[in-house]
Amino acid sequence: MDALAASDRWQALLHINPGATLRDRHRSYVDDDNFFLSETGKEDPLAELLATHEALQSPGAQARCRFPARYRFLAQSLGWEQAGAFDHCAQYREWRAAVTASRAVLVFPAAYLNSPSSMFGHTLLRLDQGEDSAVWLSWAVNFGAVSTAQDNSFFYIYRGLAGGYPGRFALVPYVQKIQEYSHMENRDMWEYTLDLDQQELDWLIEHLWELKDINFDYYFFDENCSFRLLELVEVARPGSQLLTELRFAEVPVNTVRALDDRGIIRERHYRPSKAVELNNLREQLNGNQQALARRLADDPSLLTSDAFLAESASDRAIMASVAYRYLRLKYRKEERTDAVAKDSFALLTAMNQLPPVAVPETLDPEPPEKGHGTQMLAISGGQREGNQDFGELSYRLTYHDLLDNPYGFLRGAEIEGLDLTLRSTESGDAKLEDLQVVSIRSLAPRNRFIQPLSWYVDGGLERAWAGRRRLVRYLQGGAGGSWQWGNWQPYLLTSLRMENNSEFDTFVTPGAGLDAGILYRRGRWQWQAGSVGHYFTNDFYRYTSQLAVQWAVTRQHGVRASLEREGWRGDGDNEFKLQWRWYFD
Amino acid sequence: MKKTLIAAAMLGASTSAMAVAPGGPGCGWGNMLFEGQSGMPMHLLATLVNGTTGNATFGMTTGTNGCDTSGALTYSGQSLLGMTGVMEEVAQDMATGEGEALTALSVSMGIEASDRAHFNTVMHENFAAIFPHQDVTAKQVMASINDVMKKDQNLSKYTV
Repeated sequence: MDALAASDRWQALLHINPGATLRDRHRSYVDDDNFFLSETGKEDPLAELLATHEALQSPGAQARCRFPARYRFLAQSLGWEQAGAFDHCAQYREWRAAVTASRAVLVFPAAYLNSPSSMFGHTLLRLDQGEDSAVWLSWAVNFGAVSTAQDNSFFYIYRGLAGGYPGRFALVPYVQKIQEYSHMENRDMWEYTLDLDQQELDWLIEHLWELKDINFDYYFFDENCSFRLLELVEVARPGSQLLTELRFAEVPVNTVRALDDRGIIRERHYRPSKAVELNNLREQLNGNQQALARRLADDPSLLTSDAFLAESASDRAIMASVAYRYLRLKYRKEERTDAVAKDSFALLTAMNQLPPVAVPETLDPEPPEKGHGTQMLAISGGQREGNQDFGELSYRLTYHDLLDNPYGFLRGAEIEGLDLTLRSTESGDAKLEDLQVVSIRSLAPRNRFIQPLSWYVDGGLERAWAGRRRLVRYLQGGAGGSWQWGNWQPYLLTSLRMENNSEFDTFVTPGAGLDAGILYRRGRWQWQAGSVGHYFTNDFYRYTSQLAVQWAVTRQHGVRASLEREGWRGDGDNEFKLQWRWYFD
Repeated sequence: MKKTLIAAAMLGASTSAMAVAPGGPGCGWGNMLFEGQSGMPMHLLATLVNGTTGNATFGMTTGTNGCDTSGALTYSGQSLLGMTGVMEEVAQDMATGEGEALTALSVSMGIEASDRAHFNTVMHENFAAIFPHQDVTAKQVMASINDVMKKDQNLSKYTV
């Protein structure tokens, strides 16, 4: 029995933490008395095994209906196996008959514009019943926090981060998830087929039943949706060593990497979002045709106009399809109105009468797991105003900024958490130069079909001029627009800043200004030129202009050079910096 | 038809906020074409913590999504077509003659793989009969699909 209690499968079935997170080490992650048959089950796998043995032993035991995977484990280990072990479990048998799978697929909805926070993403597991083309009918296994509708956003944020919500597994139709992610939020989805055989899948499904209505703690940073899925795979294939490394800040893309590293991913598939499909279709049209398609969406009566009828049937089909898709994309989240429904229907009917249109596939979509590592260390050297040489050491917990190697990341999106820089000069000890707590930036290009807002928010501590160069506390953010012409992406945002420092008279001094610039992307080279400036209520003003370039040497290494001028009334400082950036994890 | 209903009922047995037509009577069966999908939790942290509001679901639960579970109509109302957003996808696929939504529909109706291409063609050709105007409901669409299939030699066996 000791050996059984220590076996990988039993430990996985009880969700014992093998050391992957600091909380609950060598105890079960499950936070629910209903999951344990022994009072000490959470801490003691042997006691739980003995209690389980006791409860499941007799044929017809009700506990078998609750714990089919545990039963299978004991039955196989102790030679109990018998036909009809679950004959008395009507509910379980009904469920088990409905939930079948011949394939498990890890689904990773990628980041989407205007929500850089989605870069952390989410992962879920899809259970396919068989045919490739019928994935709409698959089940989705989802782990998420269970909140109540009454909670307001701030409370939700706090509790989500601090672990105040219970987390539960849910089993929902996959079609809902497609609607939610690919259609509503416009996220591309990456689907990774797991290399699990039928037996392993059966373990997983049977164990899933044991987790019905069972609470786990939900922690945003580590014990999140992705992490829990690794535990499920561990049940399917014990000893796969998915949870042996310490995992802090489990970013979903690292879940994909963990599975990939252990050879559990067999195949990868890219499912473009509705917005990407529209864009791919649109690019088949010339400028005039795009403009006509756009007008068609506003006024479907143009379907009978001479300009439209002058085009070839295949181009007409693409235009009608573009107009229809645009209309649906635009109004998908809104209440139905008669006018939009009428226009949509007119375009749909036109599509039906025109030749079918194939949506061109996205060329070389970049798998997110092939992007650079989530953490970063950097060293740099530079000179500030004349002869003041300095050296710097930086660490960033997570994740990506506008100049980092963009492969596998969303263009124009930035999200950084905990970015720390220490600077040492010839004349003094190392001092805190910069501690950015959070920085989120979304520069979403506007075009004829979509007009998203670009925005940013960041906050922390930084050195800035206020009488002299000193550490100031700040929070700033703004909104505006961004456009794209080939490799160039200009942006213009208003900006508001709240600053606290020991020079200004008021505790918090607000300032307003602009944040504008241009990005240029070419292969491994990412450029940015821009300025941000604020005029404060105490008649002080300050701006920073920067020209920066990063060369992505390899996937995990980059060199960045920057030239910066910080100016204020009557004076300013120049700074040049060269930085080596190393990404890992 | 019975098989359709069972398959559809299994599919629709869910409690997501999405599955409920905003303001729709009872269940999704009354959903109209091009029904919007407002009312989703779209705030920032909902994305992050990927929270579900209300009851977590576990497959075969029924009657928890605000649907009235009494009576035959609402039973069949929990269907694939009745899910907000799905009918629109089906309509688009029927208009063009192929797509994942159409496949899902045919599989859930028990149509065998060998008949599915034919099913798609028939649906494509009869698009105007199945979607005669923009105000059709999921129930009407399902009935029209059934009518069209009854008239087809190869597909009539799937209707009862």
